[in-house]
Amino acid sequence: MVETHDALRPLYRIMLALGLVSVVILALGFALLLRFAPPGQHSGYRAHISGVYAYDPATGSITGSAMTRFHRDQPFAASVDWKTLPASMLVSARWTDSLDDEVGATQPTPVPAGRLASQDALVPVRASPAFHANLPGRYTLTVVRYAGGQPVELLAMARVTVLRDP
Amino acid sequence: MIQQAAYRRRWRPTRYGLAAMIGAAIFVVLVLSSVASLAIGPVPLRATLFGLPGIGLVTAATFFVLRALHDHEPKVRVRDATRAVVLFVVGIFLWLAVLDVYTFTQEAGPGVATASAIACMPTTAIGLLVIRRFDRNEKEPWRLVLVAALWGAIVSTSLVVWAESVWDLVFTATLVPGPAADTSAAYSAGIFEELAKGTAVVLLYLVMRDEIDDVVDGIVYGAAVGLGFNFMESVAYMTHQYAILAPVGLGPAGAAGQWYFRQVVGLFFGHATFTALIGAGIGIARQMPLLSQRLLVTASGFLAAIAAHFAWDAWQAFVLVGSSSTQLLVANARYVMVIGPFAAAVLLLLVMGQHVEGRALRRHLGVEAASGLGAVLPNEVAVLMSPWQRFLARLAALGRGGPGAYFRLARLQRAQLHLAMEQWHRERREIDQPLAAEDALRGHVLELRG
Repeated sequence: MVETHDALRPLYRIMLALGLVSVVILALGFALLLRFAPPGQHSGYRAHISGVYAYDPATGSITGSAMTRFHRDQPFAASVDWKTLPASMLVSARWTDSLDDEVGATQPTPVPAGRLASQDALVPVRASPAFHANLPGRYTLTVVRYAGGQPVELLAMARVTVLRDP
Repeated sequence: MIQQAAYRRRWRPTRYGLAAMIGAAIFVVLVLSSVASLAIGPVPLRATLFGLPGIGLVTAATFFVLRALHDHEPKVRVRDATRAVVLFVVGIFLWLAVLDVYTFTQEAGPGVATASAIACMPTTAIGLLVIRRFDRNEKEPWRLVLVAALWGAIVSTSLVVWAESVWDLVFTATLVPGPAADTSAAYSAGIFEELAKGTAVVLLYLVMRDEIDDVVDGIVYGAAVGLGFNFMESVAYMTHQYAILAPVGLGPAGAAGQWYFRQVVGLFFGHATFTALIGAGIGIARQMPLLSQRLLVTASGFLAAIAAHFAWDAWQAFVLVGSSSTQLLVANARYVMVIGPFAAAVLLLLVMGQHVEGRALRRHLGVEAASGLGAVLPNEVAVLMSPWQRFLARLAALGRGGPGAYFRLARLQRAQLHLAMEQWHRERREIDQPLAAEDALRGHVLELRG
C-alpha cells in the first residue's frame, strides 16, 4: 500500500504546486486591480447626466426629449451637467458599443470639467463611416475622473439601446 | 449488487448526504434563477409552453417518490426512487435548456441559434471523442460523459448568469472602465464559471465514485463538463455577434469568427482545460489516504482552474484584437501563450496518471493470471495492457465469429480490466464493496468467457 501511495506522490505534489502558482496569479491580478483602481480615490462628486437625446451632427445640437432607445440611423448624444463638477477636475466621457469598441468621447482626453462646462459639451456617438449607421445593441456612456494621468474614479454611467430595425 | 461497505469509515456514508445537500442548494439557486428569468429577464411567456415537458417529468418524478414512500418492498422502493431521481434530473435539464435557449440565443432568432448549435455539434462531439480516448485502459461510459457535458452546457451556464450579473452590478459597474473593470470581470468569470462547472465533477465523484478511478478519469469528466459549457457559450457568442453585425451584412462573418476561436482554436485551449484541472484535483483526491490531503488537492484543482480562467480573461484586457493580420496572429498565439502552460500541466498529469494506472493494472492482471482462477490468462495480460492490441484481438474475433464475437470480446476485456481496477482500489482500501463483490466480478468475467 505504501508503494501505491508513493507512486501517487508526484501527482499530488504537482497539483499542490499548481495550486500555489494559482494563488500567486490571483494575487497578481488583485495587485493589477489596485494599480488601475487605486483605493482612496473617492472624491465625493457625481456627474449628472441630464439625458441622452436625438442629435443633429450638422448643427451639433440635441433635439426633443431624453430617450433610452434609438433607431440605427438616428444619431444621439449625451448631455452632461458639467457644472456640477469642480472646474479644475480632469474628466472624460466616452461611449462604448455592444462590442466594447469606443464610439465617441470628449476631446481632448482628459479635459478640465470647467472647459466642458463653458462649451456645454455634448458627448455624441459617432457611427463608423463604413457602416453609415450605428450598430444595434447596448451603448454605455461612462464619465470618469483622471488623476496622475490615468482614470481613477467612475463619476457617472448611462445606458441606451440601439434597436436592430432601422 | 453487493452494497455494504468493506471498510467502513465515518466519512463514507455522508458522501450521498453531501451530494444531496449540494443538489438541493443548486436546485434552490436554479429555481430562484428561473423565477428571476421569468419575472425580469428576457424570457418570453411562450418559453413556459416549451418548458411544460420539463414540468411533466418533475410531476412524474413526484409520483414515483410518493409511490416509493408507500411501497414496503425494499427492491420496489429503490427502483421507484431511482426512477424519480432520473425523471427529476431530466426534467430540470429540459426546463433549464428552454431557459438557456431563450436567455442566450433569442437576440438573433431561433434560425441563427439553431444554425450556430448545429455548427458547434461536430466540433464538440470530436472533442468528447478525443477526451474519452484519454482513458486508455477503462473508457468512461458514454452516458456519464454526456451527462457531464450536458451539465456544463445547461446547468453550469444557468448557475452563472445571475451570479455574474450580481457581481457586475456590485463590483465591475462601479469601477473605472478599462483594465480595472476588465480584471474584476475576469475574477467573476473565473470564480463563478469554474465553481459552477466544478460542482458537476464533485457531484459525479460523490454519487458515482466507482466510475472515477483516478486522475485520468477526473480529467476526462472535467474536460467533458468544460466542452459542454464551451458549446453553449459558443452558441451564445455566435448569435450575439450575428445580431449586432447582421444589419451591416457582417453577421455570418462575425458568427464564423466566434466559431473559429471557440470551437477550433479554443476547443481544448479553454473551458476544457480549465475544468480538466478541477477534475485532475478530484481524481487525485480519490487516491489520497487522508481527508486533509483530499481537501487540499481538490482545492488546488479549483484554484488552478480559477487562475487559468482568470488569466485568460484578464489577458484579453491588455491585448486588443482587431482585424489586422498582426492582431489576428496575436489572437491565435494568445491561446498558446496563456492557456498553453495550463494545458501542458493537464497533459503532464494525464500522462503520469496513465503511467501509474497502467503499472497498477499490469501488476493486478499478472497476479490474477498467476492465481489460475481463469478470469485472466497469462497470455492475455500484454494484450489487455495495450488499446491497440485489444483492438486487434477484437478484429480477429470479428473475422472468426462476426460482430457478435467482436462485442463479446469487448465486454470480456472491459470486465477483465474492471476486475483489475477493483483489485487496485481494494489494495488501497478505497472501495465500498466487500470482497464478495470482487468474487462476483470474477464470476461475471468467467461467465462472459463462456
